[in-house]
Amino acid sequence: MNFEWSTARHASRILAVTAFAALVASDARGQAPSADAGYPTTGPISGYMDFHFNKPEAGDAVLDFHRFVLILNHSFSPRIRFVGELEVEHAFVEGLEESGEVELEQAYVDFLVTRAFNVRAGMLLVPMGIINERHEPPVYQGVERPFVDTFIIPTTWFDTGAGVHGELPHGLRYRAYVMAPLNALEFSADEGIRNGSQKGSESNVRHVALAARAEYVGVPGVTIAGSTWTGTSNFLAPRVDAAVRIAEADVRYKRDRLELRSEFAQIWITDAARLNETIGQLTGVSPNIARSLRGFYGEGAYRVWADGPARDLMTFVRYENFDTQFRMPSGFLPLKQFDRDAWVVGATYYPDPDVAVKIDYVWQRNQSSVIKAPNSFNIGLGWWF
Amino acid sequence: MVVLMLRWTVGFLCGLCVLCVLLSRAAAGDAQPPQRRVIRITAERFTFTPSEIVVEPGEEIEFRLKSDDTAHGFRIAGTPVNVVIPKRGRAEMSVTFRAGEAGRYVFECSRMCGAGHNFMRGVLVVRDRTSRATGQ
Repeated sequence: MNFEWSTARHASRILAVTAFAALVASDARGQAPSADAGYPTTGPISGYMDFHFNKPEAGDAVLDFHRFVLILNHSFSPRIRFVGELEVEHAFVEGLEESGEVELEQAYVDFLVTRAFNVRAGMLLVPMGIINERHEPPVYQGVERPFVDTFIIPTTWFDTGAGVHGELPHGLRYRAYVMAPLNALEFSADEGIRNGSQKGSESNVRHVALAARAEYVGVPGVTIAGSTWTGTSNFLAPRVDAAVRIAEADVRYKRDRLELRSEFAQIWITDAARLNETIGQLTGVSPNIARSLRGFYGEGAYRVWADGPARDLMTFVRYENFDTQFRMPSGFLPLKQFDRDAWVVGATYYPDPDVAVKIDYVWQRNQSSVIKAPNSFNIGLGWWF
Repeated sequence: MVVLMLRWTVGFLCGLCVLCVLLSRAAAGDAQPPQRRVIRITAERFTFTPSEIVVEPGEEIEFRLKSDDTAHGFRIAGTPVNVVIPKRGRAEMSVTFRAGEAGRYVFECSRMCGAGHNFMRGVLVVRDRTSRATGQ
């Protein structure tokens, strides 16, 4: 009864805030009569694609059409807007087989009330880290996304929810959403919380998660940000008190030809020992889930050519350290092959600002004396339109 | 000798006339209204720099817009201003705007530029003359 009341209370709050925003956003007072001219408006369609060649050191090379993403947008009025992002991963999708995925990564309506206060509801990107909300291929260095933004922060991380966002004076921006929680029964030793996302597919919201991010952009060329996530994730195992808390901090700096960025993220999972036991009883195998996961990276990039299209070339180097077995619950030993670090060195050539030809080499190491981490050579072609 | 003096006199008078014309043009230029103010804005996923601009009522502004990545839009809500900022390395976009009544006018990216497109907004503050006069 308490759970039901709690859920109803959360849902009613979300609906009340959304309805209020819709009411205010639909009121066009204060705008010139011409403000609504040209609305509603749809499109144009935009999107991005990511095509990779990956050659692991001790394996066959693969060609992978990694991402095919179409973005649709519609403005009902200047203040009420829809954005949708539909993605096909790995090109091919077939039921009951290990292959690609079709994902609805974003589908929300924005009620733009003021610069400082706006409301968004639908399928949302979790506001966490550098990459999750800035994942178009020309935006980041490297053929694949950083490991920390894959194994610690599970980009592209999205789920259903509602919340507020805006920009305050002095260069402060914020986003705060109420979202569907993670499913702790899908956590694993190697990929952490990655498979726990419910992805908006009849997401269970017995409990809700809270996600928030604040950014400071008050100094040109500098972005300093922090994100947090907290949510009880035990809806399929109510006797396990598996709450997930994430803290993240990142900074980006850009001046002339130089670009620097760094990110740190740590995850805490409560009651991880009982979570392992419960999953072990259900599947027959203990997943060896950690009680804490941690990752960080630093990247430096330099624009060797900076003469605009057809003469734009960046080189970069990135160091990453990521451990999905950082702290184990009592009675569990860490699997050392998942305590990893990597050096990534490469270059990105831009024949057009929206087309990125990438090449890199990844030296990966782990702490295991038995299982070796694979080095790899990668070439990528990504574009945005 | 007389002819030479006449030539010098005519030459001097012609030079004086040219000087007068130039000076009168310069004086007329001084009498023109003050030059429009130029404000440079850089657009980049998903920010405008600067994102808050303060102007006077009636002031004529020339926005010079450039992008540091993809093409963006620049639209001032409630006004006819809505232009495309070319991609990085392409031409700079210039658009003029005369500030109207005091108030806060949102400007935003009007061309889809990525997942954070709707975050890309700024504000143009047209100052209130009366509040300035009273020191508020």
